Parts: sequence; C-alpha cells; structure tokens
Amino acid sequence: MSQPVLQLKGLKTQFFTDDGVVQAVDGVSFDLHPGETLGIVGESGCGKSVTALSILRLVQEPGRIVNGQILFRGDDIVTMSDEEVREIRGKDIAMIFQDPLSSLNPVLTVGFQIEEAIEAHRKVPTKMALSRAVELLKQVRIPAAESRVHDYPHQFSGGMRQRAMIAMGLANAPSILIADEPTTALDVTVQAQILELLRDLNRDLNTAIILITHNMGVVASLCTRVLVMYAGRVVEQGPVERIFKDPQHPYTWSLLQSIPRLDSDRHDRLLSIEGFPPDLIRPPHGCRFNPRCQFKIDRCLHDDPALMNVGPDQDAACWVTMRRALAPNGERRA
Amino acid sequence: MPDRTPLLRAENVVKHFPAGLGASVKAVENVSLEIYPGETVGLVGESGCGKSTLGRLITQLLPVTSGNIFFDGVDLTKLRGEKLRQYRRQLQMIFQDPYSSLNPRMTVGDIIAEPLENFGLLRGRAKDQRVQELLKIVGLNPYFNNRYPHEFSGGQRQRIGIARALALRPKLIVADEPISALDVSIQAQIINLMEDLQKEFQLTYLFIAHDLSVVRHISDRVMVMYLGKIVEVADSVEIYRNPRHPYTKALLSAIPIPDPEIQSKRRIVALTGEIPSPVNPPSGCRFHTRCPIAQLPTPCADQEPPLEDKARDHRAACFFSEKVPVAV
Repeated sequence: MSQPVLQLKGLKTQFFTDDGVVQAVDGVSFDLHPGETLGIVGESGCGKSVTALSILRLVQEPGRIVNGQILFRGDDIVTMSDEEVREIRGKDIAMIFQDPLSSLNPVLTVGFQIEEAIEAHRKVPTKMALSRAVELLKQVRIPAAESRVHDYPHQFSGGMRQRAMIAMGLANAPSILIADEPTTALDVTVQAQILELLRDLNRDLNTAIILITHNMGVVASLCTRVLVMYAGRVVEQGPVERIFKDPQHPYTWSLLQSIPRLDSDRHDRLLSIEGFPPDLIRPPHGCRFNPRCQFKIDRCLHDDPALMNVGPDQDAACWVTMRRALAPNGERRA
Repeated sequence: MPDRTPLLRAENVVKHFPAGLGASVKAVENVSLEIYPGETVGLVGESGCGKSTLGRLITQLLPVTSGNIFFDGVDLTKLRGEKLRQYRRQLQMIFQDPYSSLNPRMTVGDIIAEPLENFGLLRGRAKDQRVQELLKIVGLNPYFNNRYPHEFSGGQRQRIGIARALALRPKLIVADEPISALDVSIQAQIINLMEDLQKEFQLTYLFIAHDLSVVRHISDRVMVMYLGKIVEVADSVEIYRNPRHPYTKALLSAIPIPDPEIQSKRRIVALTGEIPSPVNPPSGCRFHTRCPIAQLPTPCADQEPPLEDKARDHRAACFFSEKVPVAV
C-alpha cells in the first residue's frame, strides 16, 4: 500500500457562537491514498463540509480547528503558517463548491479566472497562461474552448460553470481535488456528465478525489471508499461495496433503506428515520444517534462507541451493529 | 383502477411569458392531460422544462395564455372572481421551500387558519380546534400553534405547509418538489405522510419533481416533460421498464442507483449539452438537438411528433419510439 497523501487524525473543529460551542467536527480520522476516490456522506449539519474546509484551513470565524492533525504528505496543515497553507491551497489541494455561480466572479472572464489560478503559484507569461486555460477548458470538455475562454460566467450554463470550476481546480495539477456537493445544483443529466468527467480525470491524471455529498447514488457511481458522518463523527467507513451491501451502523443502514430506488420494486412504505439530527451544542449522551436509533440498547444511552472493526477494511461506531440487530434469535439483547 | 372520469383535464394549455423585445418564453406549449380521482400523477423533467409553470396553471395561480382546464367538468379558465375563488378551495398547493413559503411573522396557528378565514368557514374555538386537529394530522404537536416558523426544522415546516394545504379539504393537491429541500432522512417521513393522507382523505396528487426515483415510488402514473411539452405518459412501473421516448430513457439512465455493483454495470445514455432555451425552442421535435437516435433533418428536425398511443395506457411523442433501448 502506498503512503497516504492525506491523513486526518482526530480532527476537531468547533464554532464558538453566542449560544455555545458547536462541536461541528468531533474527532474525524481517515487516510486518503494517491488516486483514491473517497466519498463523505451525511445530512446537512453532519460536519462533512466543515471537515473539507478544515483541510484547506478555510473555516471562518467563529469556527476554529481546536484539535487534531491534518497531515499532507506528512506535514501538519493545522500548525502551518498562513503562507505555507496558501502554497498548498489550489496547488496541491484544490476545492470545488456546490454553487458554481457564486464561486465565480461575475465581472471577470472565465479565462481570466483560470489564468489567475495558474499564476497564483508560478510565474508564466500571459500568453502561456491563456493557452493553458484553453487546454484546461478542453480537458473538461467545454465546446469551442478557444472562444468560450473569453466568455463571462453568466454566458455559461450551470453545467458549464461547474466544468469551468473543475478546470480551475485542475489548473495546477493538484494531487487532491475536494468536491463539495459538486452536482447538487445540477439536473440529473448534467450530473451524469460531471460525474463521468470526474471519473475520467481521476483515472487519467490520478488525482485523488474527496467527494462530499448527501446522495448515496452519487457515491456509488464515483467512489471506491466511503465515510458516513453523523453529528460531527464518522459512524462508519469502508469500501463502497461493503458499505452498500452490508452496512453495519444503523444510521447507514436506515439511510439506505429510506431512499426510493429506481431499480427496486415499488414497495409501499419507505423506512423513515424518526426525529431529526441533534443540536451539536448539546449533543446527546452516549451514541449521538441513539435518540433516533430503532436498535439501541441500554449501553448506547451512556457509553459513546468508537469506530470498531466490523468486516474486511470496514469500521463502524456501534455497540449493536446490524449483524446483531437483524439476527433472528434475539442475540442483540445479550 | 381509478375512476375513468377525470377530476382534472387540461386541453391544449399554452403559457407564454413575455421576454422583452417581442420575444416570449414558451414555458408550456399545447399540453393536454388528465388526472383521475384518487391517483397520484408524477410530473418530471429538468429545470426549465415548464413543470412548475404547468402546476401553477392547474391550480389557477397563473392564467393560461390559451387552452382550457376543466375541474370536475367546469372550465376554470372561463371563471372569474368569486366563482373562481370557490373552486380554489378544491385545488391546493404544497411548495418546495419550507422556509420561504411560510410567513415568518405569523404563528403556525395563524398560517394554518388563514385559508379557513379567507373563506369565512370557521371562527373562534371551532377554528382553533380545527387548527389543532390539522397539526395532529400532519404529525405535529397540536399545542405548537402559538409558535413561529423559525422554531421548526425543515421537515416540520413542510408538515405545516401540508396542514395549510389540507385546511380547506381540497380534492387535488399540487405538490411542487415538496421534498427536494429536505434532508435524506426526512424525505421518507414526508413521502410516507403524503401517502397516509392520501388514503385517509381520498386526495388526488400532482407530484412535481426532478427526481425520477422518488416520483416512481409515489406515483401511479408518470408524465415526462421536455421544454414545455409532455413527451411521455405511462404507468410508473411501465415507464421505467419500457420507456418509449429517448429522453425518458436518458433521464432514467442518468439517475445513479445507490449500489456500486449495479451502478458500474449500467450504461448511461449520455445526453450532450443542456436543455435549450425556451425562447427559441428547436424546430420539429424539441429534443432532436440532444437526441441519440434522432434522424436528421427528416423527420425529427422538421416535423413535430404527436403524443400518441404506443401501447395500452402508454403515450409517447417520438417517431422512433420502437428504437428506444430497453431499461437498465
């Protein structure tokens, strides 16, 4: 196994608000290997985006990384100077966001903004930057790139803007691309195009991708590994095949049961997870999912489970696990 | 099998919005449809296809440019004033965004009671009781009537929107993307609630959404819209198994299935580009610019395919519907 290009160790990011301290990311650890595609899934407020922003040290006030390490090729991003982080940002680790329209400057041409991204990290003659911008737009399959490079963002459609964002992210051939809900604002047909583009880029350029999404289908079509987050914690992680076929955490299991699938029989009722995600200023005692968990046992109410190995390369933070929860002989009472 | 007298029937409905300089956005173009009592009809399509406009035309929130909409046999487009107002009671709407569709300065009780007051139906204690009953029906605490919308989560607000829509005991509810703004774990709660309410109150739904897997789950029949036109209508199982319009096929294949094994084996019918502008829709079949099986220029670019029967209860608007590949 290769050395991980990125390692998170016990990352804690908190927001110091007037109402109290929001424990947005509470001890997240994972490894990302070169060329890997990692999906981070969870609902809004589970800490997936804050995890991503923490990696690039982009968390805004009143948020702060309070603990843990983010090792990029062995160097800790948390303790770096602003100067050093700026070197990495956009060059080694790039990020694209959900809404391409608000991430692009409306008064500058798309080409200019891509050139800016190139020139931020190396000195290049303007002409070369322009031809590199055209090349990047071609790489993300913008038709007539030579002329479209001079267009303004409003002249691009939603899908093209997201392509332009990806082109900008790729400007310096980063080793990691973080994509935060890159297809959520797009139509399904355009989403399929963008996912295919990301898949090809991952294969051709060996760029590792961290894909943040709430859509299980999107994870299934792009990622090889997945982290499931709930209330600031990783509750389950493993290879996609394992997580989708044999989820062990009740949250992962319920989430998969609650979405209508195109390929399933039209069953009459969806499983619904009762209640709603907890307040992260005062998270529940014990397992954070216990107020909504239909399989909980007494231990879950006061004892907080850590990630435990539950299968080949698969970890879940649960005292019960689905294997026992679904066992017919009432073994889970034991 | 639903009753064969439609509750609602639209005939050649057209809606154009002026777009300046004499141009117009052809949002809905010659749409005819039927909705039968007690059924759920799903209306799907990409953003900008006209599905929300069609929903608003049906609920009479927008006037038609031309065409007729019959509800219980009465042409709503011919009604004005008080007569139309009385019909509005029967047609209610649930909106996508549970944040902007509830007035933040009104209590939840007042929001739900407003339709009752508008029609002068109930007063005083009877009104309060009805509000509490409605809150209970949608699964909220009946004593929350004095609270304000900001005190509720997205899923709870959507329940409030549903309670408001139910207040006048409507026959038809048009739900415009009622779950797309909600978290995944909350979506199932709202879908289940809508299904329960339909059984309890014999409701008829027009369920507008862009997510075909949700639509397929909740609907009896599905209509697919593209650039202002209905391109296919069929039973929800049938349309998935045997789509007869290449656009439906592409839409289905683009939806990722949450199973990596199946997903890696699926062939995606890649559509190039995006939906064209409805100001200048393409000639002939409006889908021909993106269609993988179009024969150009004749007939696809110069003739418009009619929406016609391709099988029993299965209509599609395509000259080459037999060439559409079979599902998954």
